[in-house]
Amino acid sequence: MTRFHRLLPYVGLATLAVAGVALVGLPSAVVRSEGVARSVRVEASTFAFTPATIEVDPGDRVTIELASADVVHGLHIEGYDVNLTADPGQPATVSFVADRPGTYRIRCSVPCGPLHPFMSGRLRVGPPSTFWRAIALAFIAVAVGGLALWRKPAGPRVRLGPA
Amino acid sequence: MMPIDLTRFPFVRSILVARGPQLAVQLAAVAGLLLVIAAGLLGTPVGSRNPATVLVWIAWWAALMIVAVPFFGRLWCGICPLPLPGEWLQRGALLRPRGRGRGMGRPWPRRLRGLWVQNAAFVIVALFSLPVLTQPRLTALLLAGLVLVAIAISLVFERRSFCRYLCPVGGFIGLYAQAAPLEVRVRDPRVCADHTTKTCYTGSADGYGCPWLVFPATLTSNVSCGVCLECLRTCPLDNVAIRLRPMGADLRRSAPVRIDEAFKSLVLIGSALVYAFVLLGPSSALRAAAAAVGSPSWLAYAAGFLLVTVVLVPGLFLAATRLGRSVGRNHLSAKEGLQRFAPALVPLGLAAWAAFSLGFVLTNASYILPALSDPIGLGWDLLGTTSMPWTPMGGTLASWALAAIVLVGLAWSSRHVRAVAEDLAGGVRMAIPVWGFSFLVTAGLLWVFVA
Amino acid sequence: MLRTSSEHLARIALALVTLAVPLAVAVAWWGAHRSTSAVTIHGRVSEAGGWLPGTLRAVVGTPLRLRLVSDDVVHGFAVGRSDAAPLDIPPGQVVETTLTFDQPGTYTFYCTRWCGPDHWRMRGVIEVSGGQPAAPEIVEPLYESLGIDIDAPHPASALPSVRPSAERGESLGIEMPEGFRSRQDFIARPPAETWQSLRLDSSTRGLSDSQVWDLVAYQWRSTTTDAALQEGQALFAQNCAACHGESGGGDGVIALSTPVPVSFGILEGTALSVPQGIALSVPEGIADAVPAAAATHLAGEQPPSPADFTDPSTMLGASSALLQGKILRGGMGTGMPYWGPILTEAQLWALTDYLWTFQFGETS
Repeated sequence: MTRFHRLLPYVGLATLAVAGVALVGLPSAVVRSEGVARSVRVEASTFAFTPATIEVDPGDRVTIELASADVVHGLHIEGYDVNLTADPGQPATVSFVADRPGTYRIRCSVPCGPLHPFMSGRLRVGPPSTFWRAIALAFIAVAVGGLALWRKPAGPRVRLGPA
Repeated sequence: MMPIDLTRFPFVRSILVARGPQLAVQLAAVAGLLLVIAAGLLGTPVGSRNPATVLVWIAWWAALMIVAVPFFGRLWCGICPLPLPGEWLQRGALLRPRGRGRGMGRPWPRRLRGLWVQNAAFVIVALFSLPVLTQPRLTALLLAGLVLVAIAISLVFERRSFCRYLCPVGGFIGLYAQAAPLEVRVRDPRVCADHTTKTCYTGSADGYGCPWLVFPATLTSNVSCGVCLECLRTCPLDNVAIRLRPMGADLRRSAPVRIDEAFKSLVLIGSALVYAFVLLGPSSALRAAAAAVGSPSWLAYAAGFLLVTVVLVPGLFLAATRLGRSVGRNHLSAKEGLQRFAPALVPLGLAAWAAFSLGFVLTNASYILPALSDPIGLGWDLLGTTSMPWTPMGGTLASWALAAIVLVGLAWSSRHVRAVAEDLAGGVRMAIPVWGFSFLVTAGLLWVFVA
Repeated sequence: MLRTSSEHLARIALALVTLAVPLAVAVAWWGAHRSTSAVTIHGRVSEAGGWLPGTLRAVVGTPLRLRLVSDDVVHGFAVGRSDAAPLDIPPGQVVETTLTFDQPGTYTFYCTRWCGPDHWRMRGVIEVSGGQPAAPEIVEPLYESLGIDIDAPHPASALPSVRPSAERGESLGIEMPEGFRSRQDFIARPPAETWQSLRLDSSTRGLSDSQVWDLVAYQWRSTTTDAALQEGQALFAQNCAACHGESGGGDGVIALSTPVPVSFGILEGTALSVPQGIALSVPEGIADAVPAAAATHLAGEQPPSPADFTDPSTMLGASSALLQGKILRGGMGTGMPYWGPILTEAQLWALTDYLWTFQFGETS
């Protein structure tokens, strides 16, 4: 086996590693300085947010009105420090600029019954780039595992346990 | 990397052989179980504040899936409190053997051996899981029920038949324990071959014969060994060792696994996908259906669950292996293709469950201290943390952590798939369809976790 | 022998563990429930039992210690017709409070955070004994002394073509005629009737119909205060908006989401039991027998949707006294709760005043 062939897996691994780091590290969609003002009325019921997914563009000024349909519910957006609580008949509103791209979970922050921990939705700021990057990384993962990390065993395989 | 024999260190060996330390940890586990059952039955019905739901489904489950199983294999089974009352009654002793205990000691029926009953038990528990996960009373009743069943089984059947053939969690832990770096093995099988009395299996004055009905000399994987350390105590030839080995070493066996184990691997991957999609996905109607046990919508959900885990995912995998077989030039039967490639999915399945559990614990770990501070809902503040607010730890970093776990699992699985393909002389072409299957599973998981 | 004794030690340890945990829990639980110094009240949504226990006893002058805990969702606690601030009761957490009563009587405590369609039913009673019973205060509701049948339909006899405005009415600079100036004058007559009378009065001869309506609106605004309207708004938001809608259109979230007919009857003396087995008695202060209208709204019939305060054809035919009566006494087979034990006189009138903003207030 030539030196080239012996080095190839390592070179391949290194290339894949670089690609992986680039995928994770590259900044995503440019934040437009002037976003649109968007307004959403989120209805919270046991145990759902309607709409479950809010899609905005980076830079938009988002106004969320939380209206509860049955009991006291809360709305918490991870990563954006948004915290609302609403009783039925008394909606609450918050306004913020969606300057951080990505997908953020919306969760209910007030215990509202058994399924409360699973009452969630999503705020998507910009395209779901984390997801696509992860998909690209999945290709890399298969390549790393299936090609670069695999080694032809040198001699008879050492087995564990009895023959 | 050679296995490191931990029991070569005298201190380690003496701690493990002595029964006191193990019993102490077991008693702590029993105390925890009693607390959880008491809290579940007497405490607040609010799931996020009761230790029954919080300690079991947030703390213990996450510790199990993220730390215990991937890094310590079946170590939990060695201290699990569920079978202990039954075992102590069966043995008539807490420490070393003292003659006969109670119990009829019958062998487990041949027909019911293997993983099929455990597969079914897991699926049944999974179908009813949503109300159990969220209501303390039901969690307490489930655990108490399992204890009673374990006692009954221990008094009728031999040894740890409950653990080996019935426990719904056990099949799960056993399969994924193969990925762990810890193992119990014999040092030199030839020594065992010459040893006539085989006290590791039959028992002696120093200890019980393997409660897991395993013959240590033939142990080649972590699937059935419950790390109870009896063989360490009964072997008069000091031939049993606890070793550190490379992670996933069990998966490099070239022999095909039994069909029930292969099927379990697929059912668990399917379950991870369904759980992730139902609990974390966008459809609250689906969640409501999963929770409304007994209703027509739940029946539809159950049918869907069974379809995905028992038919679709195994079917897709079968198709992938078949495609691989035709692409490679190997003449494998469909069944053997399943039996050879399914173990390679273990890292991916483990990663799926670990990521799912991590997501859940990051969101809800802040419930643990308040629940402990006021365990039966009487307004106590034992730890000063009863009024601690809910503080979810999520955000982009958490999403990337979940994605990273799944991707590492995918990479490791891909490696094993390649290894199996090479063993079968099919090369990369044979591996590609199974890689495709793994990629699809990963994409589904990533979509739920990250998109 | 050493070996035997280590087994015995182990068994003792097991016994300690097995007994200690349940024993500690049992003792604590028993102790907490046996304690006579504080009463533990569990709050659940009405469908699951409401307040448990629902009846408390207290003595005048002796503090009543309460430990309140919610078993499901966020509830609140307040005593009707008192000025103590309401307490929020988060699920699973114990909240303590102490009540001290100066007067004997029957007090109603109620839930102050919406906990479902039957939130308003989540009420309990505190029987306070001892002390000097105050002279019984017979407060005849205004609608009774005026002889108004609050269950009869009240269509408006005249309707404005344009939304009336109190501001425009004020800017007309016309002095209200005799008999239309006082607060009593306003609350006793429906606006439509007021308009008819004002139209015929000589002082409004030069005004258009719309301008006379503006005067009617001004009559409302001038006989109430900013403070009362603000209080009314707060009361409406907390208690009414969920069913009647934030904009008063009868389209509140609870009304829209409740498909099940809620049927009950409020009858004095005869506890009419209804399908759910709920027997309610008339709150204190209301002495009338029930009109026959109640009989038509019993089990099986869909109750009417909540009143639409933005509909002039019904609102303008109702006097404030009628509205106050409906709020006080409740709905007779509709889903409208009775607020007599909960709201003070001042609060009831503030709320009624606020309701006119849906007809006369500035639209934003």
